[in-house]
Amino acid sequence: MIGYFLLFLENISPLKFYMEKLTDKFIWKSLKEGDLKAFSVLFESYYPQLHDYGLKISKNEALTEDTLQDFFLYIYDHRENLSDLETIAPYLFTSYKRFLLKVMKKNAKLKHTDFSDEVLIDLKFTPEELLTNQETESFKNKNLANLLNKLPKRQKEAVYLKYYSGLKAKEISEVMGINYQSVVNTLHKAINSLKEEISIIKLFKL
Amino acid sequence: MIKKKYNTINDFLEDASFKNWVQQSNGTDINFWEFWIANNPDKQELVNKAKDLVLGISFKKNFVSEEKVAFEWKKLETKIQSRKAVPKRKLRFLKPMGIAASILLLVSVGFYFINQNTKITHKTNYGEILNLKLQDGSDVTLNSNSSLSYYKNESRKVWLSGEAFFQVDKKKTTNAKFWVITEDLSVEVFGTSFNVNTKKKKTAVFLEEGSIWLALKNGENKKMIPGNYISYSAKKNKILEDINLINPTIKTSWKDGSLLFDNLSLEKAMEKIEESYGYSIIFKDEESKNTLITGAVPITNIDICIKAIEKSVDVTIIKEDNSLVISKK
Repeated sequence: MIGYFLLFLENISPLKFYMEKLTDKFIWKSLKEGDLKAFSVLFESYYPQLHDYGLKISKNEALTEDTLQDFFLYIYDHRENLSDLETIAPYLFTSYKRFLLKVMKKNAKLKHTDFSDEVLIDLKFTPEELLTNQETESFKNKNLANLLNKLPKRQKEAVYLKYYSGLKAKEISEVMGINYQSVVNTLHKAINSLKEEISIIKLFKL
Repeated sequence: MIKKKYNTINDFLEDASFKNWVQQSNGTDINFWEFWIANNPDKQELVNKAKDLVLGISFKKNFVSEEKVAFEWKKLETKIQSRKAVPKRKLRFLKPMGIAASILLLVSVGFYFINQNTKITHKTNYGEILNLKLQDGSDVTLNSNSSLSYYKNESRKVWLSGEAFFQVDKKKTTNAKFWVITEDLSVEVFGTSFNVNTKKKKTAVFLEEGSIWLALKNGENKKMIPGNYISYSAKKNKILEDINLINPTIKTSWKDGSLLFDNLSLEKAMEKIEESYGYSIIFKDEESKNTLITGAVPITNIDICIKAIEKSVDVTIIKEDNSLVISKK
């Protein structure tokens, strides 16, 4: 009977229902009122993205998962003090980044290494992550990954948030603490230099 | 989309039809933008730039699995709930004046011996659900606007008004029974889980697991098997419903904080909302009453509940004092 019960719940899944029907604003508001269900919706929608983001920054799965648990617990504990939000994504990305960096810095201090946020946020891309276009073989993917990794750190972060996490330019500007125009410029610079590099490689191949 | 001005790169980036053109995914948008670009050669550079950004770089998104997310959520939920079990207030209370505390303890120990037979009552308000653990280890979830009482030395005999879900622990050694007593009947239990609802001037019992006996006020006894749903009114002196439920979750989902509607008319659905939250329901038109609704709404948050209903059926719900006014959109 209990098995059946769970099965049935999965079919109608109240959570999915909420997710489709509710806006960020309402989820946030209910979380502030202590609604655990709203919180689980928030968790389920953002955990995957934040997990990958954390992993990209820390390159350490255990650390990412531990900090995510602590981070969400922190949010729940401090829900009453949270300010009202229209969109949740930028807030979560920004706060989680800060949260993770704090822990990483603390760990680094224990090992007597010294570094700043700028050093810490150095994303690395692998050829496997890139989607192959019809005409490009894995060789070209490897090249593109190399090129991406050569970009300045800020550009890499913007590229990641835009094309991997799927944030809007406006949201990226909040996460990275720069204005909208800078995001667009940074992204464009990144894409342009990739294009140039690719055409140079093409020339040499010919 | 036609009258809009496109002066900055943002105007292009935020435009859905522009994205459709870049990705060549919508015929109308493709036609529109080919035409637009041909007529606005001065914007060509801006268009190219925006197009580059939209196309960008394609990643294979390798997000963690749903199972993993569910697992991590369970972990977090357990942490949150274990935190709730130890309220901080208690600590603050304990700090000052140890002497006063010990006197209080002595007094309460004395009271305990004198008042072995104190009646304990748990009450819930509208929009509130209470989880109780009785002394014998049985779990009770008390629905909104309900009350449950028992005597301290006899927690396996409880009086219920309203609705509750019971998970009774079986006492193997003594085979002691568990009793739920309502205005209409008594439920005699060994070890099982079941739902009792006394709202609407009758008592409805749904048995999820195990087996129970109902002792009706008219002296009749009735055995229930899992899946049985029986309702009885002492005033009318008759069994009103005796059925097997195909969708038992509908009757018990409230204990997990949501009401499930499975193709139910809005009128019937709102009756349940009325029971849970205590708002009276006013329909402005007949048509809305008969609209069918499927889905789940929360039991403890009226605002989300209203929003969820408004989103799934085409109505507007306005909260006025103690009533919900429903009208067609």
